[in-house]
Amino acid sequence: MNMDTAGAPGPLTARDYKSDLKPVWCPGCGDFSVLSAITMALADIARPREEVAVISGIGCSSRVPAYTNCYGFHGVHGRALPLAAGLKLSRPDLLVIAAGGDGDGYSIGGNHFLHACRRNVDLTYIVMDNQVYGMTKGQPSPTTSPEWDSALVPGGTGVRPFHPLVIGLAAGANFVARTFSGDPKGTARTIAEAIRHPGFSLIEILSPCVTFRPEERDWANQVHPAAVEETQDRAQAARRVLTDDGFNTGVLYRGDRPAYQPNFAPKDADLSEFEREFLP
Amino acid sequence: MNPAEWNYLDRETLLAHAYAIEHEAAERYQDLAAQMHDSNNVEVGDLFAKLAEVEAKHAAELSLEHGAAVTPAGGSEFMWDSLESPLESPEAIAYGDMHYLMTPRHALTLALAAEQRALSFYEDLAARAPSEDLRVLAAEFAAEEAEHVRMVQEWLQRLPEDEADWDDDMDPPVEV
Repeated sequence: MNMDTAGAPGPLTARDYKSDLKPVWCPGCGDFSVLSAITMALADIARPREEVAVISGIGCSSRVPAYTNCYGFHGVHGRALPLAAGLKLSRPDLLVIAAGGDGDGYSIGGNHFLHACRRNVDLTYIVMDNQVYGMTKGQPSPTTSPEWDSALVPGGTGVRPFHPLVIGLAAGANFVARTFSGDPKGTARTIAEAIRHPGFSLIEILSPCVTFRPEERDWANQVHPAAVEETQDRAQAARRVLTDDGFNTGVLYRGDRPAYQPNFAPKDADLSEFEREFLP
Repeated sequence: MNPAEWNYLDRETLLAHAYAIEHEAAERYQDLAAQMHDSNNVEVGDLFAKLAEVEAKHAAELSLEHGAAVTPAGGSEFMWDSLESPLESPEAIAYGDMHYLMTPRHALTLALAAEQRALSFYEDLAARAPSEDLRVLAAEFAAEEAEHVRMVQEWLQRLPEDEADWDDDMDPPVEV
């Protein structure tokens, strides 16, 4: 974290939450706009940078911690959520955001996704869903449609896609929303709402991979605000999401489950004691 | 500050916004230039770098001629920083509009749209600012943006039309 401007007069702006590192994503990638949305939301929340942590796994979108100017951890593939949950439980004073892609979150990290929703730790999970493994060059991901034809999977996978929002609702996520990267302001508003909502918040951001799924540029013409108001009825939300066209955007569900809090107080770790467990 | 609050606009805040529009456009063009150079689209990368220089120079001139400050005087944020504001910084090009094979014509078409948004922003301010001084200043900035619009239009006229297959890649990203 670059703290050069720490203590500078006046509230922090979105720019203050961006690091000096230039993203290496492909031109046109939706993740650029998502990064802007995250930093806009953080400026709106107005927490000091040293009280914010962005945690990720592996993948194009999982590079986000490097591009934000706060604490961060670029973890192991699929393990953003256990890392984020562990951090939040041991440091409940921090604002914790987990971020990543559909492959990282729903395949390699699929089991962690289920249990993170179930545990309902107070953190926000941002999934930049491009329906493909971009970093490893175009393999189908859990959310890829069965008929997507590619050199790697001629004729498509024929496999039913994972439906993250319905599964998240069924597993217990306390706030569920879908946004589009081409609407950074709307995405930022939703991220800010998700952060403010207690418990586990899931935001699915449709974020085109313009390199391996160039047809996803057309998502800009397909997304539309959800025609109905958000609901607090989990079953109703699940039915709606299960039957919509996949391009409804907005907050879709806002629950009232209390966030998980361990019944023990976090204590200062004794590092020397910890080391003895691992060192001969 | 939200556009609904433009009645409270003062000179320092207007100047800070004018500076921010140019500065943020320069930063965005620098980002886009880096993206294009990383993609080996040197021609468009150089063009974005040139546009970044133009915007940075304009920001410096604003600072020199009007004493434009980096931050608004009366508030902590720019009109487009508020999540409730429908505005984005008007002269910044959207990241999603990039393509690694884009041509100078594409780049200038996007730049033209950005200049036109800045022109509209100042024209709106010139019509709605709460005092005559501010309306005159906003109209002055609008005239400068109109000049930029004409400049980019002239550059565009010098360019040939794009080939229909401009996005054909003889060495495309390989799926493995």
